[in-house]
Amino acid sequence: MNTSEQERIATLLKKALPPVGAKGITDGASDSAQLNRDLWPNMLRRLQQPPAPLLWFESAWFDWALVAAVAVWLAFFPAAIPVLLYHL
Amino acid sequence: MNTHPYLRAYMAGIFTPSLVLLLVLSLFILTRLVFQVPIPIERVIVFPMALVPNLFGVWNILYVWSQRRLPIGFHGALLPLIMAPLGAAVGKILGVLTVGTQGATWFQQITIPYSLIAPVFCVALVIYYLVWKYIVGSLNRVLGIA
Repeated sequence: MNTSEQERIATLLKKALPPVGAKGITDGASDSAQLNRDLWPNMLRRLQQPPAPLLWFESAWFDWALVAAVAVWLAFFPAAIPVLLYHL
Repeated sequence: MNTHPYLRAYMAGIFTPSLVLLLVLSLFILTRLVFQVPIPIERVIVFPMALVPNLFGVWNILYVWSQRRLPIGFHGALLPLIMAPLGAAVGKILGVLTVGTQGATWFQQITIPYSLIAPVFCVALVIYYLVWKYIVGSLNRVLGIA
């Protein structure tokens, strides 16, 4: 590729790709306006929101209850322990 | 670290049963070779040694492949639905599980009445739920596939 071809391709590329921030890229003035807004207040509001409530099976008390139930059950039926060990 | 997610899932899956296997083998050596307990464990030791770690690995691959639709605890709790019948079948074929009128007998020593089989299965589900939620889940997070 010689120099004139390179220059021609560079010119064609410059014509084909408009500069970033031009209307053609952002597809309308509303998008540009939205991007130019300060996003920090939204971020701060989101950070200050209370976390979403946990589902019942996601709580730690549920898992502890399961552990306790299994321990109590195995204490009452220790004969099942080898069978469980085999099947686990 | 987005490469080989299934390999990492497999490794995270086999970690727990491989560790438990050390405990199982120690118990086996103690009961069978040291205390000479007349229970033919060696007939079925292949089940926990070979099959279970691989099943855990494959099950974790399935979890990653399914794009984590179920919470990992519930996904793990489904595994006994495969393993219990498989273990029972292996036990029956190798002659360590016999089915009688009162209940099922393991190793000609331990008889579990039929009324207790469902609770035993539920206990297995709970143990699997907790193991998968806390151990496999945390390993998945460490390996970046959670």
